[in-house]
Amino acid sequence: MKRTSNILIVAALATGAFLAACNRGEHNRKPGRIYMPDMYESRAYEFYSARLSGLKPVEGTVKRGELLPYHLKESDTALANLVKNPLTITPTDLKEGERLFNIYCGICHGTALDGNGPLYKGGEGPYSAAPANLVAGAKSGYSEGRLFHVMTYGYNMMGSYASQLDREQRWKIAAYIKSKQPGAAAPAAAPATDSTAAAK
Amino acid sequence: MYRRVSILLRKHFVSVLILCASIVIPFSSVKAAADPAKGKAIFQTNCASCHNVHKKLTGPALAGVEGRWADKKLLHQWIHNSASVLATGDKYANDLFLEFNKTAMTPFPQLSNEDIDDILAYIKVAETAGPKTTGGDTTPGPEAASEKGNDNSLLFGIITLILAVVALILMQINSNLNKLAGDKEGVPTPEPVPFYKNKAYLALIILVLFMVGGYLTIQGAIGLGRQKDYMPEQPIFYSHKVHAGINQINCLYCHAGAEKSKHAMIPSENICMNCHKAIKEYSGPELTNAEGKKINGTAEIAKLYDYVGWDPEAGKYTKPGRPIEWTKIHNLPDHVYFNHSQHVVAGQQQCQTCHGAITEMDEVHQFADLSMGWCINCHRTTKVQFADNNYYSIFEKLHQDIKDKKIDSVTVEMVGGTECQKCHY
Repeated sequence: MKRTSNILIVAALATGAFLAACNRGEHNRKPGRIYMPDMYESRAYEFYSARLSGLKPVEGTVKRGELLPYHLKESDTALANLVKNPLTITPTDLKEGERLFNIYCGICHGTALDGNGPLYKGGEGPYSAAPANLVAGAKSGYSEGRLFHVMTYGYNMMGSYASQLDREQRWKIAAYIKSKQPGAAAPAAAPATDSTAAAK
Repeated sequence: MYRRVSILLRKHFVSVLILCASIVIPFSSVKAAADPAKGKAIFQTNCASCHNVHKKLTGPALAGVEGRWADKKLLHQWIHNSASVLATGDKYANDLFLEFNKTAMTPFPQLSNEDIDDILAYIKVAETAGPKTTGGDTTPGPEAASEKGNDNSLLFGIITLILAVVALILMQINSNLNKLAGDKEGVPTPEPVPFYKNKAYLALIILVLFMVGGYLTIQGAIGLGRQKDYMPEQPIFYSHKVHAGINQINCLYCHAGAEKSKHAMIPSENICMNCHKAIKEYSGPELTNAEGKKINGTAEIAKLYDYVGWDPEAGKYTKPGRPIEWTKIHNLPDHVYFNHSQHVVAGQQQCQTCHGAITEMDEVHQFADLSMGWCINCHRTTKVQFADNNYYSIFEKLHQDIKDKKIDSVTVEMVGGTECQKCHY
């Protein structure tokens, strides 16, 4: 009886100490122990799979629900000026465009679209190039097509946003910027319903 | 204009000139020799999107630009219309054009020669001032001090120990006094059993040890596979505090997938380069890692350039990029389904609800334990945004109940948020 209880105590303490020692190292640098790791270390089709993470969609395919591809090359700026917005822009779309603009563009171009976002702060911020002022100067005259083109390919110091924003989101942002620019017509006044414009 | 006035004065009233010379001439001479303040304003509106005084951007760094051009007139012409200078076959101009991948400079015919001189004056002033460095902010901050004082468990432990010793001494005194009293009255006291043979003591010790061991075992077993507070070292010291906190970049800017897919996504490297093409140096407050080692932010940005194959001097990609192997922190096993977009878009949850104060973390650690109990608790208490949400339009009975004032809100549980199959299938 006594021996059994002794063994029990020692066993309990040992397991406890062993399991408690599943610690994460100093400053929690280690993930700790896993029981039967097969489902933690995923072999399924997952984002983190080293082989699959960098795959692009198959050439020539279009995702369901996605707008048709944009075929102009980076240097085709003259043609891009003429491209019409394939979406019918509603006030909801403009609101969505504003939300997306404030997340993805406002950080440099500022939520007032004046080219003075938190990263530039009139030259005080870490970003050393002045972002374009979208409501005054040369860039306030850009057409929606040109704005879309710049978002797709980048321009000067600005990079491409095609990986963050799908085509529909980019068109909504372009419509939002246009609606803020001088000489903007009332929203959705002349909706361009011709979807062949972007699809070419 | 002032000069013209002073010339008039000189012609007609020599004596007045002598009187006024000390006031007018210095003023007029400053006016004529270009105004750096005015130049700064012109520079900011016209030049700064492609040029910086100290850094190479779309165009060259402008420090020392006057020295590089043989003729100031040619520089004026270049700014007015660079194509016309290229056409003259000037060697420096053509070399410059080639160095910047034949990116033509925007012509500025509207700038007068005086405007350009103002800009050049500003460049000279900014050049002597040197690049701005704001890395001197190294005060440790009050939070470091207060964190130390928070841990009182050691103090409580010491007090408990002292009290236990006092209790033991008192018990000993009590038994001694009892014994003395018994001796005096002639009652024989039994020979005391040493405490390690005392059955009551032994039983108590066994019980305590068993409970402690059992508690540790259960806690350890529950902790298997849970990674709360896990904070691995990442290949690049990427500080969420600097990006999302100090510079106010929205989480979705990099983790764009959180709204569209199951995964929030580790951003691809081109997203880093959106900003780091221009931001080559770290100039924020001093960085230290968890071990207390100082981190050189500029060197960390250089690591990024090495991964993506970008040459910041030449301003172009010079070698093929390779992936940055970030260490995954939040890991759910395959038998759990979790979808970011569902929580962020339909559920309107803030990132911080599950990921903690990311904007305060230099190095990210796992904030929630991601256990099933944690999920279920939140599903039981969180109210979904039920009205005006297309996502929940099919729950007709609940909509009716709200209309009938039987319930005032709908929790996740009521729309099936605690059904097994919701997450395990």
